[in-house]
Amino acid sequence: MKHSELACEREPIHIPGRIQPRGFLIAVDSKDWTVTRASANALACIGGDTPTPIARTESQSVAERGGPSRTALDLGSELAAVDRFERDADWARITHFIERLRLTDRSAPTVHKAVHYAPVEVGSGTYVVIAHAAGAETIFEFEARDDASDGSLDILYPDIREAIESIQAEVDLSALFSVGSAVFRDLTGFDRVLIYQFDEQANGTVVGEANSGALPTYLNLRFPASDIPAQARELYRANRVRVIPDAEYVPIDIVDRPAVAMGPLDLSFSALRAVSPVHLEYMRNMGTPASFSVSILVDGALWGLVSCHHARPKQVPHHVRSACDLLAQVLATQIAGQVRSALDSERVQRQRTQSQLLAFMAQEEQFFLGLTAHPAEWLAFVDADGAAVVVDGVCTTAGLVPDDASILKIVTWLGKHHPTTEVFATDALSEIMPGTQHLAGVASGVVAISVSQIHSTYVLWFRPEVVRTVSWGGDPNASKRVVGERLHPRESFALWKESVRFKAQPWSVAQLESVSLLRHAILGIVLRRAEELADLSRELKRSNKELEAFSYSVSHDLRAPFRHIVGYGELLLEDPALEQVPSGKRYVSTIIESAQTAGKLVDGLLGFSQAGRSSLKRTTVDIDKVVAYCRAILEPDMKGRNIEWDVPELGSVVADATMMRQVFQNLLSNAIKYTRGNSLAHISLTVERKQGMATFSVKDNGVGFDMAYTSKLFGVFQRLHRMEQFEGTGIGLANVRRIAQRHGGTVWAEGKVDEGATFYFSIPDRAE
Amino acid sequence: MAGYKKILLVEDNPKDLELTLLALARSQLANEVVTARDGVEAIDWLFRINDHASRERDDPAVVLLDLKLPKKDGLEVLAEIKGSDQTKHIPVVMLTASREEADLVASYNLGVNAFVVKPVDFKEFFDAIRKLGMFWAVLNEPYPSTIPDTGPMKVTEA
Repeated sequence: MKHSELACEREPIHIPGRIQPRGFLIAVDSKDWTVTRASANALACIGGDTPTPIARTESQSVAERGGPSRTALDLGSELAAVDRFERDADWARITHFIERLRLTDRSAPTVHKAVHYAPVEVGSGTYVVIAHAAGAETIFEFEARDDASDGSLDILYPDIREAIESIQAEVDLSALFSVGSAVFRDLTGFDRVLIYQFDEQANGTVVGEANSGALPTYLNLRFPASDIPAQARELYRANRVRVIPDAEYVPIDIVDRPAVAMGPLDLSFSALRAVSPVHLEYMRNMGTPASFSVSILVDGALWGLVSCHHARPKQVPHHVRSACDLLAQVLATQIAGQVRSALDSERVQRQRTQSQLLAFMAQEEQFFLGLTAHPAEWLAFVDADGAAVVVDGVCTTAGLVPDDASILKIVTWLGKHHPTTEVFATDALSEIMPGTQHLAGVASGVVAISVSQIHSTYVLWFRPEVVRTVSWGGDPNASKRVVGERLHPRESFALWKESVRFKAQPWSVAQLESVSLLRHAILGIVLRRAEELADLSRELKRSNKELEAFSYSVSHDLRAPFRHIVGYGELLLEDPALEQVPSGKRYVSTIIESAQTAGKLVDGLLGFSQAGRSSLKRTTVDIDKVVAYCRAILEPDMKGRNIEWDVPELGSVVADATMMRQVFQNLLSNAIKYTRGNSLAHISLTVERKQGMATFSVKDNGVGFDMAYTSKLFGVFQRLHRMEQFEGTGIGLANVRRIAQRHGGTVWAEGKVDEGATFYFSIPDRAE
Repeated sequence: MAGYKKILLVEDNPKDLELTLLALARSQLANEVVTARDGVEAIDWLFRINDHASRERDDPAVVLLDLKLPKKDGLEVLAEIKGSDQTKHIPVVMLTASREEADLVASYNLGVNAFVVKPVDFKEFFDAIRKLGMFWAVLNEPYPSTIPDTGPMKVTEA
């Protein structure tokens, strides 16, 4: 902030200790109503007269009563007369005046509730009397009323009603501003009425204007925040109406009564408060000696001002001020309504997009896929040009975005500087994050939401720089200059154009609200997904346990009866009496065989289920040894057979040793079995290692199979041959496939009827 | 038969019991076979408590222990045998119908001396039992001079 602006912001404008010379002021102690201070012109204004209270309800004009015809501005001598009341008698006269007014009879005014008294007539003229509390004191302000200012709200009523109707008829903001300013011009008779709107940085923009032509037009001009400093804005919020009839006025000091120890008198709510000399100079520089402004408050905040200027000094009568205040609030209500309805319709549109996005996200395994798969909706959601999702350092983007490295830098910076900000938004990233100016073309505007801190998940939207031209009412950088001890406002109000660089179109309040809602929705989805996963894993664990218990009891209880059948069958077979039964031996043998087969099926099934359940114990397995072992185990099957083996060196793999034995035992046993009809069987093994996979093959010249059934080869209980042709449970190859899958590999086969078959078993070729 | 240590067979299934006894008998073992029908009975007999409190100390040559048993299962019985200084020297052979690896691991962790999966095929079963009986019974035979008798095997219930 510039030195001059700071100095200006420090000026205690609410306690100037002076008033404007269009009336006089008397302050009393709120407790005992002793007079504590008075404006230096009070005595002269009171004169020797005894005040005559006028009934509050009267609406007769002074002119009708044949009173003096003077304007407040040239009341002259009395108002300008300054007296230091050095004698006690002076204070006694002021006290007497207040007492004679019998103002004390009324209910006590408070800071926010001023009490309007009946106008009084004294020697110097007629005064409107308003009292309000300020600290421990009550301030009575006597504002001179002249012929021109004579009137009341009653008289203005038709005008006010018409004005309200015309304001309320407008549905478009710019039309509203235009009509609004015209209404104020009609009512006040000022040359130029501006509707002045503050932006977030408190810069002002003239959004509406009605102009007689006597003063230059300011429509669409922007004024720097320093033109109306912070403490003035706060005062404008608290006290809505200000009048300066003549910027050339000579302020009147407020004189403290001797021996009354009070701090400086707070004139925040005073109508006569003398304004800062800087402000008067500013007015003179603008060529507007008379100014009148009314605050426009929307939702309790200072939205803007109705600012009226006149090329010559001009008074604003009290009742007109009241009417303007009323109309400004009607205008404010209307503005608030318009702003709200604009926000609402934007919000409705946004909510539609949001619910679409939510639906997309809810369908996806990971929420952000719902965004990245629908870039149009994702970008339209906040009218962004680019968007990105960052999950654990991985970017997925849409539209116009910075490179991944820059996005990650932004995310890291956010995590460091805004770790707890739910919705981060800026329209000028380079102003707050150093070293990002080169990104301005894609990321001047950034909105970011943090979804998960554990996994560092961010969703970001980007807007590029928009190089705009802003028309300032004078150079904002030269808004004040310091000459000697005093601040001087800038002297030129000529249009000054500025190029605004590195700024994006700002994010609207509605957009940011939507982003915040979306964030909550995403959190909801993420949370729900996490819960679902937890449920699923619990469910899996439970069903896995059940399956284990099931297969455990099958393995124990289902095998037993088969064992018993075989056992007792064998015993019966030994019984010589069986010889007496025709076909007895054959029947019993068949029973035994069937029971044995059933037992093997049970064993096969259990083995199969174990291959799927038991955890892999990976070690380096020497496949050459495994093959040698299997050939030894299968020796009985090869009795009386003529088999030519072709077994090269196969090397080793990292896998579960037991499972590898099962695989090769199965493949070799099949090769031996299905070459049974060959006078010379030929079985060859190969290994091929490429692309990270080790592929083993077992080739035979046996009965082969029809490739049409290859899909059935590896299914459980799938057989391609009749039982009496080739024994077997139909589980072996299913087991081989399951083992391959458990190792992250595959199996397949090639064959032709009567021309042999080749089985391939492929698993990742990895180092331990 | 005196001088031969007994064999404790713990088996709840009557058919398995009969077949196992038959297999043992055919192995021509001289040892007396004591049968227990559940885990508690086996423990009572081994530790000479409750119904067997008055039994004289006479540790068996081997315990053939089925895994699935009423009251106390095989693993619990095994844990008690191997957990007591009084009995941990007694060889225990686990007989089981299951190929469950978990059972095997648990048994070896508890200190089992051998683990046999009962085959469905009766001949294999006979072979397995005979080998077991021969190995453990003969190995634990205290009086090598005494020649096994070929008379009927003595079976008692615990």
